[in-house]
Amino acid sequence: MTESSDKKTPATSGKAAVKKAPARKKTVAKKAAKKVAAKKAAPKKAAVRKTAARRKTSARKAPAAKPVSVLIVGAGFAGLGMAIRLKQAGIEDFVILERGNAVGGTWRDNQYPGAACDIPSNLYSYSFAPNPNWSRSFSGSAEILDYIHHLVARFDLEKHIRFEKNVVDLSFDEKQGIWTATTDRNETFAGRAAVMAQGPLSNCSFPDITGIEDFQGHKIHSARWDHDYDFAGKHVAVIGTGASGIQIIPELVKVAKHVKVFQRTPGWVLPRPDFTTPDWNKALFRKLPVSQQAMRNLLYWSHESMALAVIWNSPLTRVAERLAKLHLRRQVKDRWLRRQLTPDFTIGCKRVLISNDYYPALQKDNAKLITWPIARISEKGIRTVEGIEHQVDCIVFATGFDVSHSGTPFTVKGRGGRVLGEEWKGGARAYKSINVSGFPNLFMTFGPNSGPGHNSALVYMESQLDYAVKGVKKILNEDLTLLDVKEDEQRRYNRAIQKRLAKTNWNSGCKSWYLTEDGYNATMYPGFATQYAAQMAEFDESHYETV
Amino acid sequence: MASIDLDKMLAKIKSTQWALSDIDWDAPGAELITEEQWPKLKEFMADLMWIEHVGARAFAALAKKAPTDTLREIYTYFHAEEQRHANAEMALMRRWGMLDGEEIPEPNVNLRIIIEWLDRFADEMPVYVLGTVVPMLEIALDGALCTFLLDTVKDPVCHQAFEKINDDESRHLGVGFTVMEMQGRSASYINMVQMMARVMDPRLILGIASYMPLLNKMRDNVIAMGLPEEKLYKAMKKFERIGGRTEEGRRNPWFQLIKHHGRWVTNRSNKIYHVPVDGLVKLTGLMPRRALPAVPSWVKELTWQPTATH
Repeated sequence: MTESSDKKTPATSGKAAVKKAPARKKTVAKKAAKKVAAKKAAPKKAAVRKTAARRKTSARKAPAAKPVSVLIVGAGFAGLGMAIRLKQAGIEDFVILERGNAVGGTWRDNQYPGAACDIPSNLYSYSFAPNPNWSRSFSGSAEILDYIHHLVARFDLEKHIRFEKNVVDLSFDEKQGIWTATTDRNETFAGRAAVMAQGPLSNCSFPDITGIEDFQGHKIHSARWDHDYDFAGKHVAVIGTGASGIQIIPELVKVAKHVKVFQRTPGWVLPRPDFTTPDWNKALFRKLPVSQQAMRNLLYWSHESMALAVIWNSPLTRVAERLAKLHLRRQVKDRWLRRQLTPDFTIGCKRVLISNDYYPALQKDNAKLITWPIARISEKGIRTVEGIEHQVDCIVFATGFDVSHSGTPFTVKGRGGRVLGEEWKGGARAYKSINVSGFPNLFMTFGPNSGPGHNSALVYMESQLDYAVKGVKKILNEDLTLLDVKEDEQRRYNRAIQKRLAKTNWNSGCKSWYLTEDGYNATMYPGFATQYAAQMAEFDESHYETV
Repeated sequence: MASIDLDKMLAKIKSTQWALSDIDWDAPGAELITEEQWPKLKEFMADLMWIEHVGARAFAALAKKAPTDTLREIYTYFHAEEQRHANAEMALMRRWGMLDGEEIPEPNVNLRIIIEWLDRFADEMPVYVLGTVVPMLEIALDGALCTFLLDTVKDPVCHQAFEKINDDESRHLGVGFTVMEMQGRSASYINMVQMMARVMDPRLILGIASYMPLLNKMRDNVIAMGLPEEKLYKAMKKFERIGGRTEEGRRNPWFQLIKHHGRWVTNRSNKIYHVPVDGLVKLTGLMPRRALPAVPSWVKELTWQPTATH
């Protein structure tokens, strides 16, 4: 994408004349916003708070003077991807609000030992920003974070990011057609469109286990790793054997004196075809980008084929389960341990785990798998129901994330003051995972029913980003106040989605983070990535109310 | 309807957990074991501990097959609780100087055969087979043995431990009988046909062939220890009484089968049953220990130590 082509895009439209005036306004608005932002950087916090409070009031009264075209909440993969696509579409006046002081979101936070993506890097990256230098087929989180930093530098995104802006409220002014984000320091930012890119796996907390506050040792959550803690010579407990747990355990076993692994439900584990990328391969990808695209296509279609095993219960599901059992049998010789590690749900119902070193690590002399239920945490360790207190120096909680299926991470107020969290009480629902009726000009990344179980989340993400760009362009080009999906279209869409979900493995009876307590699936998309992409490729204007 | 609410039961189970460290195993009272009692008690405790442990494995199998999530979780807890009982009984043995260092007491041959059977086939058994046999074993052996123990042993720590164990066991039996009644709710003809199909399963036949001599062997053991035979039979009759208290319970064909079998066991004059089964006990008694396969690794999970770092 070149600069010139960026600029050409809007001008070629017949609606350009309509658009130009607001575009000019936007430039002025952008300058004003910059001034405001500069002022906000003033050192005295109390003063900032006061002026921010005043600004908030004025912003709500007359927000039209300041708004940028797009407000993006979150500077992880989603928010940065959105920014890149907006830039490539010629939309430059956007602001990214990031609660942390660095980019990277989930990959910035999840830097525990062994952290890696279970999708091959050539597929877990943006097709519009390929990286020929991936060092391994499945790269670790540090390398993925480097890639994210590289995206920021390559697309010059840093100037758009406002760090340490923790959004607590996002409200829509129906008359002006403006979204206003308010931070926890009462700063406000306004935009004509808003993109919620806060990520589905961004919040975590210690689990609600009796006595957790009594523990006198050290506690670490996998998603907020304590890099200063030295595990050498320590007795360590790991609670949780999901995607994070199985990556952490082999690393801890290498350094700690003893590792006890507390498992509630074993997951299906498939071998990981992991290898170091040879130099000639990197050189080939650099010199001949089409070869990397071919590799990506190969990976894409092989993952697509896995949908048949993972999403629906088919003969291929049995093949996948047999493969996982073979992997277990090959790596674990003891019958009882094998039984403890054998899942009793259909493969795919929970996230499929990928690892070559998890089973061997559990069998090391300094490791032990414990499947007794946890009765409570005590001062010195973990008491399990078989009556024994397992004493440890440190407990690692690999217990996953606080995934919200029925709320929003911050208050989102739409038309007529309706609150999204309240509308989602019975389970989140949206139109094509991206828009919600009553919340115009708002786009979601990883919204309800957008999750893949078999393919790269970033493949799904690209479809969402491009859809959002279409929506944003429509708002800007036609100078719309509202672009709101019709309620009956949203209802029709959800009815169809839930009907399709009922037939999937996710809804086949196991408990997972994909489902609400009542078993409502607000997380996954029941189909191939190709189907999802086709759904998102079409922007049906007749499904929207425009003002 | 005598059934219990399983969800409430699960909540109760979770809220009433105890650990070995709740008991002071070095408190005074160990000296109350008489010299005469000591050798018999040693064997008795070893058997008891192994029965708990075998029960634990049966609950593990039940957890795999449980028809509902609640029941699966309950059985998962029961599996661990039975293990806790075995651990506590080992702690008592250690207190009384009955453990040889770190050694786990040797199970008798009939128990070894049951362990082997459970390890190989228990997970394949339908939930209602084990769901009926386990309450019988618990009520008969556990119930009778525990009562006998508390009648004869004066050590207060033993009483303290068994108060906790018995509280758990009463919940195990409550759930056991409720599950038996659940099975009796469907049409009995279908149950009968399904049961006959199961009975013909060679794996189950092997199980029956191990279960029958175990009962007789245990009977011989408890008599050798001075427990009046009638106490054991009384406990077994309790199974018949509680299991058959409701229409649903009586309609469960597995209950009927186990009940009748119980009657044969308690009727010493039934030569048709006792002569061949006692013969089996003798035969298994002759089996050299070396001929038995190595114990599965779940057996090695037993420990008398309230805390563990490895």
